[in-house]
Amino acid sequence: MPLLLVLHWKYGAGSPLPSVNATCATRHQCHSSVMSQIRNQLAQLNSSANALFILYYTAQGDPFPSNLDKLCAPNVTDFPAFHANGTEKAKLVELYRIIAYLGASLGNITQDQKLLNPNALSLHSKLSATADVMRGVLSNVHCRLCNKYHVAHVDVAYGPDTSGKDVFQKKKLGCQLLGKYKQVIGVVTQSF
Amino acid sequence: MKSTVDDARFPELSFSSNWSPWEEVHAHTPEQNTDLIFPRDKLVEEGSNVTFCYNSGINQNISCYLDRELIHGEQLYLNIFTFKLNNVPFIREGGTNIYCAVNYTIKDGTVLFVSKVLEEPKDFSCETQDFKTLSCSWDPGVDTGLFFDGQPSQHYTLFESFSGKKKFCEHNNQCNWEISRDLQETYNFTLTAENYLRKRSVNTIFNLTHRVHPKAPDSIHFNNVGATNATMTWKMPALGNYSTLLCQIELHDKENMRQEHNVSIKVNGEFLFSELMPDTAYMVCIRCANAKHVWKWSKWVTRTLITAEAAPSKALDVWRKVKPEKGLHHVTLFWKPLSKFHANGKILFYNIVAKDLDKKSELKLQSIPAPANGTELTLDQGSYQIQVTANNSVGASPASEIVISGDSGNEEVEEQKINGTKDGFLISWKPLSEDRAGYVVDWCEHQRNLHCELQWKNVGPNTTSTVISSDAFRPGIRYNFRIYELSTEKIAYLVENKIGYTQELAPSDSPQVKAINVTSHSFTLSWKDYDTEAQRGFIQGYRVCLKSKATQCHLDSVAELLPDNSTCCEHAINNPKQKIFLVENLQPESFYEFFVSSFTSAGKSPIGTFTKVTTQDEHSHMLMHIILPMVLCVLLIAVMCYWKSQWVKEKCYPDIPDPYKSSILSLIKSKESPHLRIMNVKDCTPDTIEVVNKSEGTKTQFIGIEKPLTESEFPKPANLYLLPAQDFCVPGPCISFVNHTYSESACDSGSCAHTPVPDTAPPCHLELLASPDNLLNTLEKTHTDSLGEIPAGKISLNYVSQLASPMSGDKDSLLIHSPVPVLCSEYKMQMAVPSCLDSPVLSENGSLSSMTLLGQDKHYH
Repeated sequence: MPLLLVLHWKYGAGSPLPSVNATCATRHQCHSSVMSQIRNQLAQLNSSANALFILYYTAQGDPFPSNLDKLCAPNVTDFPAFHANGTEKAKLVELYRIIAYLGASLGNITQDQKLLNPNALSLHSKLSATADVMRGVLSNVHCRLCNKYHVAHVDVAYGPDTSGKDVFQKKKLGCQLLGKYKQVIGVVTQSF
Repeated sequence: MKSTVDDARFPELSFSSNWSPWEEVHAHTPEQNTDLIFPRDKLVEEGSNVTFCYNSGINQNISCYLDRELIHGEQLYLNIFTFKLNNVPFIREGGTNIYCAVNYTIKDGTVLFVSKVLEEPKDFSCETQDFKTLSCSWDPGVDTGLFFDGQPSQHYTLFESFSGKKKFCEHNNQCNWEISRDLQETYNFTLTAENYLRKRSVNTIFNLTHRVHPKAPDSIHFNNVGATNATMTWKMPALGNYSTLLCQIELHDKENMRQEHNVSIKVNGEFLFSELMPDTAYMVCIRCANAKHVWKWSKWVTRTLITAEAAPSKALDVWRKVKPEKGLHHVTLFWKPLSKFHANGKILFYNIVAKDLDKKSELKLQSIPAPANGTELTLDQGSYQIQVTANNSVGASPASEIVISGDSGNEEVEEQKINGTKDGFLISWKPLSEDRAGYVVDWCEHQRNLHCELQWKNVGPNTTSTVISSDAFRPGIRYNFRIYELSTEKIAYLVENKIGYTQELAPSDSPQVKAINVTSHSFTLSWKDYDTEAQRGFIQGYRVCLKSKATQCHLDSVAELLPDNSTCCEHAINNPKQKIFLVENLQPESFYEFFVSSFTSAGKSPIGTFTKVTTQDEHSHMLMHIILPMVLCVLLIAVMCYWKSQWVKEKCYPDIPDPYKSSILSLIKSKESPHLRIMNVKDCTPDTIEVVNKSEGTKTQFIGIEKPLTESEFPKPANLYLLPAQDFCVPGPCISFVNHTYSESACDSGSCAHTPVPDTAPPCHLELLASPDNLLNTLEKTHTDSLGEIPAGKISLNYVSQLASPMSGDKDSLLIHSPVPVLCSEYKMQMAVPSCLDSPVLSENGSLSSMTLLGQDKHYH
């Protein structure tokens, strides 16, 4: 399942994965400290989210840095919900959906920014590092769901396809997504 | 709308259609809160005018911005606005945000991509290096590429019209075109640059043989490299035999280009260099071009050519310094190293051969390893011819000869002063003889060093003056120039000796002055020559500065203000040879200070410490004339007195009166005693002394003797017997004195005063027997007692015998027994001592009294 997700993290990916009735089979048993690893990874994402957000809107040029509330407000439609007071299983399922959504969106943003701002190397590096950690979270959550809760399948949704959007809209959507990411990751990290 | 035909193959057919007629389309009113800006992501060229439309929906108060700058807008309808941008500049490759806001709330935005204007390719040309490929290159100008698919960089297309071939170039500044096998002679190329917005083309037409740019020559080798010539060979790659090449060859040494040659070749080249310098590194450069039409030269190829060594071509410049000493000549040879031009290789050693011209024999051969520039030889005072050669690995230089004659080094000529300038010294001289080979002027360049760095200059035989200049010359340094005339036999004769300064300075030091002959009214100052290094110029005289309490100077001196604001009287000495000065007209017993400074044409030496002098007392001289003779006279008299003191003493107050001269004789004679006579020592045989009893604890004090006698030398006799030596006594009458002080009979009587007197005894008055009456009485009794006429019990006086060593001159002295092994002792004055004095003589406490008497002469107990 994670392999499928990773394969689908490509530019333009936006539609939900088709429901796959796969058996819950992992190559290895989860490590006993997998939850601890998930918490650490979330904390790592949470600590770098604001820096990523700042790097992004700075690289887009005026008027983004001075109009964050208008251009980068966390108004992302279809963003997966998260209930912090749910059971661990429910939270892990919701986390799985959120990370899958964010991972796909970050892929699109990274690709766009490499074309739009080829000289913004710090932004490219930060985007790639964030995507790497998210892949790790997704793997660990899947393992936990599979081993402990025997959840073999989670329906996920992705962000809107921006390939047809104009450059300004791409900049704006990317900024909104990173703003939302900064907001959500804090809540998620706190709940675990 | 319009259409355009544009094909590089047919540039003449490029054209655009007319614009289509306008068609009106009604824009829909956007939904609420949905704005619309048009166009989006627009690409324009720098300098274009751009108009944006904005459909604001229900909003009517719209403002749009480009990089925070408000764009002028115009309202077409209620909800339609236009915003115009004129002559937009290129801002960045990533495009520029344009955004619109209602009441400062951003509603929408877009990105405007502004491209730089595509430039026409410059310096478009094609050439071949091998007749296989044409390489075309150009300067593309600015890159018009933009980010994010705004616009890729412009691309280039090469089209050749004669062949009709077209090629898309991979690079934006060069493109390769394959030459057909039939060697198409003429080419007509069109280069087209193109981006999204524009096309630019340039054209060139040329003959292939006129565009030959050969590659650099290779396989360059030097063969048969000698000292003055070498052969160079090389090859031209890839051109084959299609054309003749012209090759340009340059030969450089370190400084300049020495040779330039042009050589025509096909493929292989060869050239012979001649007139080269031995042992020299040359840089050889070569390049080639098409001989018929020089389009471009190949790159220069540089190689280093080092020629072989040859024997040195010039004799060394040799000079010498001769120092005669103890019948020998210490010859120091100097030579200047050969220039590289003449050395023709690395000089390895120098050979020195000295030939004795008198004996016609070769004496010495020295080989001095390089890099020496001199050596020392010790020769006898004969004439020697010295030959010096420089040697490298190939051979020796021509010999340089110099002759040392027997008189060398002994020449003396008078020093002459010359004036130098900053540029050097102009030295002139008078020839010694008509037959001469030249002149040599030598000098020491660094006079401050103990080791003279000898320099010399050779001057032609017909020249009698020269200018000696050197960067090493310094002001204030005395330079000594010796001019030698070289005879045709290479013998050097000293002609003149000149000294001078490039610039004279004031002396740095003053002479050391001593004040001598100080009298009450004058003293003399004296000094000597001092170090020429401190003189720093020719001394022209001296200034004597004299400080005294006197407020006015004498007429022959002037008042001089000193640096410490004191004044002194300055006497001028304008004769540099005068080194003595009499300071006179001084006050006796007065304090003076003086200082002597020297001066040159540049000034005086600095004022140093003044020397203090105090003149003498005026009367001291007179006193010396009186007191000194008086003292001498007194001393003379004293010496005379001392010398004659014995004689005077004998005459005036002898220690031992001569009995024959004594007044006692007259007294004796008056008594007319037949037994009385003068005892002659020679008539007496000394008594034998026998120690009868040795009393412990008795101490004998030897007071007043020159050498104290120890117990080992003398026992401590308690009683001494003076035994008559009957066997040895001469037949004549002999009188022996018995010392009753130690007489046993006297002691046995019990009345002997031998018994120590108690301490409580009244102090005795020492009655000196100086008065004539006492003396006379005493002598009478003594004489009587000695004859045994006085009974022991009635002894009131003890006799103390005083024995003295026989004196050589006293032939008539009395003979007496002595404790020491003396045959006869002189009888000395027999003095009567009161009995009360007897005890102190023997007691320890009484030694003082005894001293008073015994101390007058030598005494032995």
